[in-house]
Formats: sequence, structure tokens, C-alpha cells
Amino acid sequence: MAYTDQIVFLAGFLLTLSILASIPAERSGVPVLVIFLVLGMLAGEQGLGGVQFEDVATAHLLGTMALAVILFDGGLHTPLSSFRTGLGPGLSLATAGVVATAIITAGCVVLLYGDPWLNSLLLVSIISSTDAAAVFYLLRARGLELHPRVRNTLEIESGVNDPIAIFLTVVLIEWVLQQHQATPAGLLVSLGQQLIGGAALGGAGGALLTWVVNRLPLPASLYPLLALSGGLLIYGMSAYIGGSGFLAAYLAGLILGNRARLARRSIQRFHDGIAWLCQIGLFLMLGLLVTPSDLLQVAPKALLVVGAIIVLGRPLAVALCLLPFRFPWRQVVFISWVGIRGAVPIVLSLFPLLAGVPGAVVDFNLVFFIVLISLLLQGWTVAPVARWLSLQLPRLHPDARWIDLGIPSDHELVICELPPQCPALNAPLGALQPPYGVQLLALVRQGCSVPVTPQRALQARDLLYLLVPSADSSVQERFDHWLDEMGAQQPESQRRFYGEFTIGALSPMADFAAIYLSKPIIDAQPDETIGDYLNRRLHNKASEGDLVEVGNVMLVVREMDQRQIVKVGVKLPRPPAS
Amino acid sequence: MNVVNLLVPERIRCGVHVTSKKRSLEVLSVLLAQTEGEPTDRTIFEHLIGRERLGSTGLGKGVALPHARVDGIKETRGALIRLGQPVDFDAIDKQPVDLLFALIVPKHFTDEHLRVLAALAELFSDHAFCERLRSSQSVEEMYQHIMRWQADSPGS
Repeated sequence: MAYTDQIVFLAGFLLTLSILASIPAERSGVPVLVIFLVLGMLAGEQGLGGVQFEDVATAHLLGTMALAVILFDGGLHTPLSSFRTGLGPGLSLATAGVVATAIITAGCVVLLYGDPWLNSLLLVSIISSTDAAAVFYLLRARGLELHPRVRNTLEIESGVNDPIAIFLTVVLIEWVLQQHQATPAGLLVSLGQQLIGGAALGGAGGALLTWVVNRLPLPASLYPLLALSGGLLIYGMSAYIGGSGFLAAYLAGLILGNRARLARRSIQRFHDGIAWLCQIGLFLMLGLLVTPSDLLQVAPKALLVVGAIIVLGRPLAVALCLLPFRFPWRQVVFISWVGIRGAVPIVLSLFPLLAGVPGAVVDFNLVFFIVLISLLLQGWTVAPVARWLSLQLPRLHPDARWIDLGIPSDHELVICELPPQCPALNAPLGALQPPYGVQLLALVRQGCSVPVTPQRALQARDLLYLLVPSADSSVQERFDHWLDEMGAQQPESQRRFYGEFTIGALSPMADFAAIYLSKPIIDAQPDETIGDYLNRRLHNKASEGDLVEVGNVMLVVREMDQRQIVKVGVKLPRPPAS
Repeated sequence: MNVVNLLVPERIRCGVHVTSKKRSLEVLSVLLAQTEGEPTDRTIFEHLIGRERLGSTGLGKGVALPHARVDGIKETRGALIRLGQPVDFDAIDKQPVDLLFALIVPKHFTDEHLRVLAALAELFSDHAFCERLRSSQSVEEMYQHIMRWQADSPGS
């Protein structure tokens, strides 16, 4: 009894501490996941807590479950529209990218340390996947509004690449243990089974789960639980038949998050919390599992491997895999930099321990150290690097809460707060013009409801209550965009990013050239609109924030509606310093 | 860049009363077309309004920078007006405009005018500077504020 009580006390204590510690962490910019990891280490055998935890099998079980939930949650929050720009490059990075990163980095380790190829490959495969939890968290953290195509690519990559890394790890372990008699053909079949099995079960399971959620009359609080259990069920089934459970969980979440009509927002909100719990639990546990003093021995090698993967492995692999998609160099640099490693590698490094690979403990510590450095270094610098490469859009998404109405009315209620300094301030309500189909229901100012009249001027911190149709995804996309516009920052940073003037994309390119260019554009076609021209220069993959240089002027894609460019910024050359 | 060289007090107006964007551009065109043997104010107006068709030159916060390249004029030239009543200018922030600086550049000039425009955009994004112009009572006072900014600004 006393033992049980102690464990409950300890769990509650550590969780509370972690949640409280995330506040100063967020303010100071320290990646919050590192805090959890360090708290785990502090509570562990060599820290203040002195907790003994060496049970690799339990850690593996809990870790896998947590990862499944985190990926399911990642899918739930990924809008299908992000696949329009991110699917191709994301998949390329998640498959070929993982393999290329592993081979290049393993080559460095072999050259520098003289380790056998097989062991080096195993080590590097373990750390070859980017971490969905860390990437989702960092890219969605407040204050970072990233170039959409870059964000979509990174998110899809991190959601899909774990199965490949897991597969590589499992195969290489068998190889190292010399249990593998399979031919290359057999390997391919096995990889295909993982991917196809995972995709099929994730797709079918997700569709079925969505159907059940939309049809079954349940008490409102049970829908999120139904979704969670469905996600775990789909993971388990897929893994049981030899498919990739992680891929299945991600896909099922993706389908449910986009297609559920009844309880979507409460499911998403619930899973937000659960995903946080999983992340905190996962990192705390991994922190407990490691023996900090052992980390020092592997420090030199860990630094070297991190260096190899950050400087050589990932950039080369990313540049190679993105070649067909013709990303501008800034985006390639950023995607290379955001190859954040997280819990997946640490959980994966438990595999060799469980399988009894000689030297596996060293690898576990090594991987742990590598992840710690990657989280610290890359996690800390994501936002500054995005700013430096001007991939950060100058706006803040206004705080908006989506609430499902709990009845099948095909509408959702959105409450959003007007940020200070947004351009809509002082403008009359009539000028707000939300997208067609969206109704402004009420305006709440300082806790009091104010009558909605077209002349009423908006103030900072006003709460807008809006009714948004939920069945039509294009209305939702427009609405999201409208929200972004409301959160646009002061003209100063807008001007820095989008340039001095804004022009319509339907204007003829020739008119633009007559005013801003001294030489004719070589690659222009007669009667072309500015939008057409930009689309051609951007290979029909335009995305907000994309830059195209024309003469001495920069054109910036400022506003898009679905695939169409609507507004374009004109960025003039900088005035001379003297 | 020297704003002073672009501007003379004769091309500044204070407290102009117009009722539309179009009228404000006409006033600016008349100010800009003062020299003999050069395009008329009508031609300049057509160029300015042609530029507005691409998209408003309103910078936001009540300021607009209409501009055009005009064939036949001899040098880069600016005109500044302050309106008595702000007019709707389709600006990006949908706010009406009351400070307008128009710039015309000879056709054959290459890229210099782009830098001039960028510098003007920078100057007119200075909120304090715009407020000083708005509170000016006379053309002379507005001109003084611009001269002073010129003297204070580093590197010019």
C-alpha cells in the first residue's frame, strides 16, 4: 500500500512540476521538452529524487503507446489542405530522406571512428527520423507563423518518417545479430508490408472511426474517449498484422480530424491535453531511465555524430530529396536545420537493448545525448533561424476557440479575441467582412455584450462570436485566412516582409514592368497577369511568403485563395546607406 | 537620397479640400506639371491613376505614395499635400488617407527611383514625422519639418 501511494505521489509531483516548469521555459525560449527530460534525470537515481527505474521493457511499452497517441494527435491537427503543398516533398523526405541521412551520416561515423558499417548504420538509423512531437510543438508554438509550404513539408515528414526509421532499425538489429537470412527482395516485401499495411489500416480504420463518431449517439464527453481508443485500436491492429502502427495512427487521426462533423473540436481539444500528458510522461520516463554519469563517457562521440548529422547528413539528404520540387535555397536550409530528434530515437534505442545487441547500452546513452543536444540546439534556434531566413510571416494568429455545438447543425461557434495592434482596430464592424456564410453573432467588450451594429468601432481585446459552417472545407480555409488577416501585425513588420506596396495579381505584368522595371522581362509572355507570371516562376507551387526577384524588385506572394494568388507585395531595393 | 531636392514649397499644399481619391490625384498632378515643354497635368494624372489600377499606393495609417514613370519630364520630382478631410484610398488597412506624397520619375531613369520610393516609404512610416506634418498650420511649416528630418537623418 505504502509503495502504491508513493508512486502516485511521485507521479503527481513530477507532472505538476513539469507543467509549472513549462511556463518559465516558454518565456526563456528553452525547449520545454528538454525541461521534462532534465526533470526526469533530476528525479532519477543520481538526482535529488533517487528513483530507481531500469525497466527497459516497461519503458518501451509506455513509450510506444505515448508515441502512438502523439502521432494520432498530430494527424488530428493537420488540415488536409496542407497536403496540397506539402505531400510530395514531405513524403520524399520521409522515405528517401531518412535512408539518405542514415547512409551519409553512417559514412562519416565509419570514416572518423572506424566503427564497422553495420553498427554505425544501426546507430544512425535510430536517430534518422525527425520527431513529430518536437516538430509539431515548435512549429505551432505561439509567435512562429511559418511559411506555409515549409511548415506543411516538415509536419508531414515528421508524421510519416518514423515507420521508415523503425523498419531500418529492426532490420539492422536482425542483421547485427546475424539472424537475417532475407534477400533484398524479401526486405522490400517487408518494407512494403509495413507501409501498405499501415496505410490501408489507417485509412480504413480512420474512415470507420469517423463514421462511428458521426453516427453514434453518445454522451458528449465520450466522443473524445472513443476517438482515443479507436486510435489505439488502429495502431494495435496495424502493428499486429505487420503493418506500421505509427503510420496507421497518424493517418487515422488525419481522417478523423478532417472528416468528423459532430465532435471534432472537443476531440481535438481533448487530444491536445492527452498529447501533452504523453509527451511529459515520455520525456520524464526517458530521463528517469538514463544514468546521467554514463552520458559523460559518450559525450565526445555524441557531439561528433550530432555534428555529422546536422552539418552533412541532413542537409545533403534534404537538398537531394527536395531537388525535384525546386525549393528556394532558404527553405532548403531551414528544412535541413529543423531536423529535430526527439523521443522516437530514444524509444528506438531501447530496441537493441531488448534484443540483446552487444554494446546496446552505450548506444542508448549515445542516442540520449544526441537527442538532448539536438533538442537544445535546434529547438532553441528554430524561431531565430526562421526570422533570419525571412520564412516567418509577420502576423500572429488571433486567439480563436472553436466550439462544436454538439448538435448536428453543420456549424461551429468560433470565439476570437482582437489582438492589440491589429489593423482592424477602430474600424467599424461593417468593414470586417467575414467570408461568405460566416455570421457575426455577438460582440463582447470587457465582459459585457454590446449590440452588433455596422457602425460600432472595434477595440483591442474585443471578443467576436462567429458562426462558421463546418461542412464546407473551403469556407473554413477562407475563414482561417480571414483570421490571419486580422492578426496581421503593425504595418512596420508587414512592410519589411511583404514590401512597400501591394498590387492585385490579376493586373497585367506589362503594366507592372512599365512602372518598376527599366529593362523588359526576358521570360515574360504577352498578356500575362502578375499572378500567371509568379505561378510560372514558382512552378505552380506558389505559397504565401514566396519571393520572386524581377529586375531590382522583389515580388512577394501576399495572399492566396485556394491555389490562386490574389495579392502580391512589391518589395523595393533598400535605400542606400549613405 | 535627398527629399529636399525633390520638393520645393511651391509643390506643397496644406489643408486641401477634396472629396475623392481621384480628385486628390488631380491636385497632385497639377502641382507636378508646372514646367513648360513637359507633359501636361492630364498626362501625369493618367500615369498616376494607371499605377493605382495595379493596387492602391496607400501605405496604411493614412499615408499614400502615388508614383509613376512619365516620358518627357526632365527630373525626378515630388509633391506633397495634406488633406483637410481624409479620403478613402483603398489602402491596405482600409483607413482613409490624408497625407499624400506623389513622385514622378523620367522614363529613362533606371532604378534610382526605386530607392527613392523605398526611402520615402521609410520616411512616411515614421509615425512621429507624419504627426508633425499633420499638425502643421502652413506650407512653410511642413517644408521645415521635411528639411529638419533631412538634417537629422543619418547618412544623408
